[in-house]
Amino acid sequence: MDYPGLIKLLAPECVVVLTALAVLFADVKFWRGLPNGRRFGRGVTLSTVGLMAAALFAEFGENSADVLMGTLVLTPVSQFLKLVLLLLTLATVWLCGDTDFTDHVGEFLALLLLAATGMMLLISTENLLMIFVSLELVSLSLYVITAFNKRSSRSAEAALKYFLFGGMAAGFTLFGFSLLYGLCGSIHLPDIALALNTKGSDPLARAAVVMVLAGFGFKIAAVPFHFWAPDAYEGAPAPAAAFIASGSKVASFFILTTLLQSGMPGAAGSGAWKAFVPGWMPIVAILATASMVFGNLAALAQSGLRRLLACSAIAHAGYALLAVLADPPDAKPALLYYVTTYAMTLVGMFGLVSVVERGHGDDSIGRLAGLSQRSPLLAACLSVFSLSLAGVPPLSGFFGKFYVFVALVKSGPSYSSHFWLALVAIAMSCVSLYYYLQVLKQVWVGEPLGDTRPAKVSAALTFVVAGLALGVVLLGCAPELLLAHFR
Amino acid sequence: MTPGLNHYLVVSGLLFSLGLLGVLGRRNLLIIYMGLELMLNAGNLALVSFSRFNGNLNGQVMVFFTITVAAAEVAVGLALIVALYRKRQTAHVEDLTTLKF
Repeated sequence: MDYPGLIKLLAPECVVVLTALAVLFADVKFWRGLPNGRRFGRGVTLSTVGLMAAALFAEFGENSADVLMGTLVLTPVSQFLKLVLLLLTLATVWLCGDTDFTDHVGEFLALLLLAATGMMLLISTENLLMIFVSLELVSLSLYVITAFNKRSSRSAEAALKYFLFGGMAAGFTLFGFSLLYGLCGSIHLPDIALALNTKGSDPLARAAVVMVLAGFGFKIAAVPFHFWAPDAYEGAPAPAAAFIASGSKVASFFILTTLLQSGMPGAAGSGAWKAFVPGWMPIVAILATASMVFGNLAALAQSGLRRLLACSAIAHAGYALLAVLADPPDAKPALLYYVTTYAMTLVGMFGLVSVVERGHGDDSIGRLAGLSQRSPLLAACLSVFSLSLAGVPPLSGFFGKFYVFVALVKSGPSYSSHFWLALVAIAMSCVSLYYYLQVLKQVWVGEPLGDTRPAKVSAALTFVVAGLALGVVLLGCAPELLLAHFR
Repeated sequence: MTPGLNHYLVVSGLLFSLGLLGVLGRRNLLIIYMGLELMLNAGNLALVSFSRFNGNLNGQVMVFFTITVAAAEVAVGLALIVALYRKRQTAHVEDLTTLKF
């Protein structure tokens, strides 16, 4: 493989990196003297052009390749997911349009784009080295953009907590990878899978599985590795929190499933009721159950919108983990549909959080009172997002859960083997309806506090939020539009 | 006696546990960082020794990359401490209490 060939395969990533550098350069060189709002406006325009170009390359470029021992693996699914990630990044970038939390506009946008590059690399590889390096590219960029709100001391604290937990996760992941490499003699996932077929019950393999799951558990915020999530969601600037909750989740879940299902089927074990066999399946089953129960119960006690979203994110990580337990042909479509629609919802939610915060200075749920009178469109969008998160048909959150549960119940030796997990999940979904309805009660029934004028919202933000809400409804009514690409 | 693979693995396991203890047990952020680095270096040691005993170079190549990543991580971490110190004049974890469950 020669360099022009490689660049052709990596065209979307290259374009995004070049855009990041261009934004950085243009901001330092030409936009320094302008007011922050206009700098953000120009930066967002430039990033939009770059992201659109990258999306075109992802859509129409090469879509199948396997280069250098799985270092770069392109499949139609990974290329489509790149498109999804680029669009999520675009939505996140547009959320920055009318914020002024920082004087370092170019740096913020560049880091956002570099994180997006890391996510795109992360989903197109089957090589432990590339997985580790791109995971760190994503994480390091996200730590920094979490700390970007220098006016608030909570931002730095949130970033530091996120960093400490993330650094520990990186240590676990690396040690797990080194054990896998030692046991199997390769860092290429298909070779590891072959070697593990005979050595799956080796103690070293068990240790590697535990370490890797601990590392990824932090990334996806599954209980008991969730401590950073509520703090990071609360302290980070709204676009940064939206990106942590959306793009990073999608990419991490994709690579976790690849790693477990195509790299370690030999060490799977079983999570079936009363028939546990040691391996990654029982561990994932326990992480999922703990996340669903803890996330939903903790969300009941939250009074801030961001913390509520963080707790619901923990719960949703639990639901999504259920898809990892399903049989391989069903698992990925169900999981990817679930996390994609979830990510869209969360970007929209954080857009609304930023509106509420700009109006009132804090994000407590009581501040939503009377939103329906101040801005009917945003109130409708908020309702769509909340009901989708709760899993009410015909929104996409319902079908996401439905496909995950069906894939889960169909898997395993018999229909009853994973049924207990589906039961827990359905019971906890009912609990979650309560706190989402609490939010909606404030929006539609609550009387506005003080300010009754229409909420001031920029056109870009309204466009993004309304577009995402429309997407959530549309993909719920016609799930095949998305599912067909993930099969 | 020549040291074998097991000796290296025991050392790297010990380093990893020491690092983890440092991260979980110490109060000073800088010492916690040193613990994080120790955890990554334990992984590096395991990779290099596996690479030697597996007879291929994949592990050693991976170490080059992780050393670079660790350096970047320190840079980001120290920048975050400076950002926190400017706001709060502290580098201790007990003082990270503005955000609570």
